[in-house]
Amino acid sequence: MISKTFFKETKELLREGRVRISIVIVLLLLGIAVWISAKQYENTNDRYAAAKTTERAVWDGQGAENPHSAAHFGTYAFKPKYPLSLVDQGVDKYAGTSIFLEAHNRNDAQFSAAADQTGLARFGDLTPDFILLFIIPLLIILLGYNSLTKEREMGTLALLKSQGISFWKMILGKWTALFMPILIITVVLFLIAGMVLSSLEDYGVFSWSALLVMCLIYIVYYAVFTNLVLIISALTQKSGVSLVISLSVWIIACLATPKMATNIANKQHPYPTAQEFAVDIAKDKEKGLDGHNHWSEESKKLEQDVLAEYGVDSLSQLPFNFDGYRMQKGEEHAAEVYFKHYKLLKDQYEKQTNVYQSLAVLSPYLPTRFMSMAVAHTDYGAHWDFSDSAENYRVAAQKFLNDHFAENSSYGDWEWQADADFWQELPPFEYEPRTLQSTLQTHQGNLGIMGGWLLLSFGGLFLTSKRF
Amino acid sequence: MIITNNLTKMYGDFTALDKLELSVKKGDIYCLLGANGAGKTTAINLLLGFIAPSSGSAFINQLNVQENPLETKRFLAYIPENLMLYPSLSAVENLDYFSGIGGKSLNKSQLEGFLEEAGLQSEAFHKRIESFSKGMRQKVGIAIALAKDAKVLLLDEPTSGLDPKASNEFGLLLHKLRSKGVATLMATHDLFRAKEVGTHIGIMNNGVLKQELVASDISLAALEQAYLNTMNYKEATL
Repeated sequence: MISKTFFKETKELLREGRVRISIVIVLLLLGIAVWISAKQYENTNDRYAAAKTTERAVWDGQGAENPHSAAHFGTYAFKPKYPLSLVDQGVDKYAGTSIFLEAHNRNDAQFSAAADQTGLARFGDLTPDFILLFIIPLLIILLGYNSLTKEREMGTLALLKSQGISFWKMILGKWTALFMPILIITVVLFLIAGMVLSSLEDYGVFSWSALLVMCLIYIVYYAVFTNLVLIISALTQKSGVSLVISLSVWIIACLATPKMATNIANKQHPYPTAQEFAVDIAKDKEKGLDGHNHWSEESKKLEQDVLAEYGVDSLSQLPFNFDGYRMQKGEEHAAEVYFKHYKLLKDQYEKQTNVYQSLAVLSPYLPTRFMSMAVAHTDYGAHWDFSDSAENYRVAAQKFLNDHFAENSSYGDWEWQADADFWQELPPFEYEPRTLQSTLQTHQGNLGIMGGWLLLSFGGLFLTSKRF
Repeated sequence: MIITNNLTKMYGDFTALDKLELSVKKGDIYCLLGANGAGKTTAINLLLGFIAPSSGSAFINQLNVQENPLETKRFLAYIPENLMLYPSLSAVENLDYFSGIGGKSLNKSQLEGFLEEAGLQSEAFHKRIESFSKGMRQKVGIAIALAKDAKVLLLDEPTSGLDPKASNEFGLLLHKLRSKGVATLMATHDLFRAKEVGTHIGIMNNGVLKQELVASDISLAALEQAYLNTMNYKEATL
């Protein structure tokens, strides 16, 4: 009965003009979106490679220089573009692509793609994630809103009942017929994305397992939507009413709840403004050692402590250049201050994430969106991870430079210069994103919520079939 | 094959069907006559198990309909007043689906054979139902009954809206099914068709089966008079 209903429903769907047109439009949009994203991905990757090489050449070629001058000269950490961002661009566009690494300061990422765009960017981009998250659920509604109401409206329900049909089997057949084209579209899209990405040279951290996980996330999302659409169709008498209710559910799930969740999260756990954040950091930095300020209380105390530790009377008797040593201690204090304040930001981010998760019971969109971005390395979590990694590199680079200054020059000799080829000894910044396993562990809550949505919606559909 | 014992259906204070006692044997065609609201469709819906009786019981092939809703449906076929099929599917595809969900797996030639037996012209076999007349759809309905090898046929105003030729063809099909031993219960307004095809005729009014007649024992005129008397109409005058 399930297969009979599946084949019957599929024939009906394929023979309906609206269905054929809808599928063609969605496939066309998907094709265009993938093509645009692939081009963007290639361009960004080329720019990333060029910028990384150029910047390193600038660093390596700065000539003989005092290490602290080089620390202020600075360098850049460039955020790599990850292959799965071709499917889900996440917050990449807004998060910035590079961080300037310099002495004393932790800088935020800058040069976001959104900053380069005009006001037209407010209309949104045609990206695969837009199609996957918004348009395909609409397609499910368009294909399935009358799946069960039509049996009532056409009058075939009486004949079906008289045949002694098992309604849950009939609904399972209809479910399969509705889900199959969506499954085919999704699998084909991910296969194409996989083939495109694996054929690119230097495709970095791309893995078929990550692509498969992402594909499964979307398949679960569509299964939930399919269940919801069929439940609504089974519970309503008229196709028009079913369509309106299904569209309302789509609006609530995909548009209203994410906006509401953002507002609630911001209201409950607001981030400090950029100005407040900078002022708080400056205040805390003032409370500790400033490597440039010889006359501060903290500098004097450090001097006395070091003289006592080495049992000497003057800084020039120390076996290292105290200026470099003080610079490093100042860096360590600043790094602690930045760590403290950025941790506060991350705590707020975690709290906001919890708000999103608690509201995910209202919308399968939220956990899907978060997991998709996380697997693609395009969520804020990935951005934080990159930013922390860049900061760790900055701190290590400052120590490398200050230590070289302290160990190779004498106290008061600010004219001392490191050799021109010294800079090449600083290891380049290499960032390894989180593994798929660690990403999935971080998103256990979202995985659980999606599992809950799937089970509850299937349960709801089964119970509805009893009432049909 | 079809038996009802004191079958009653009430909606609040309104009695739609009152203590119906009915017996339709193998090969019988029992026509239920009555005005709108007489209780004919209620009786059929109770036999189909679409609605639950307020009291009494209904049996199909000796199985209680209430207690065996799915099993009883294995033995029966149902053709409503307006048999609706899937418009974008052909006659063969509709028959394949309905016989399939009824538990029969038939090949193409078997399906075409049943449609032919039901009197559908072969050129219509693979045409979409959306282009079919009501009479053609009723023939597909009969083909579904034939394919199912139904022992009981429940018909609710099947000839309503059919032209005389199609109505006559439908009557012939019922005779064909009768010869196969199918017990048929047909609700109808059509006295002429009831007299033509029925073996037994019951006249209902206000949910009560007022009179039972053997079709061969009564003329059409006498049937008409009996019907009018039962309805408490005054004798019609020209």
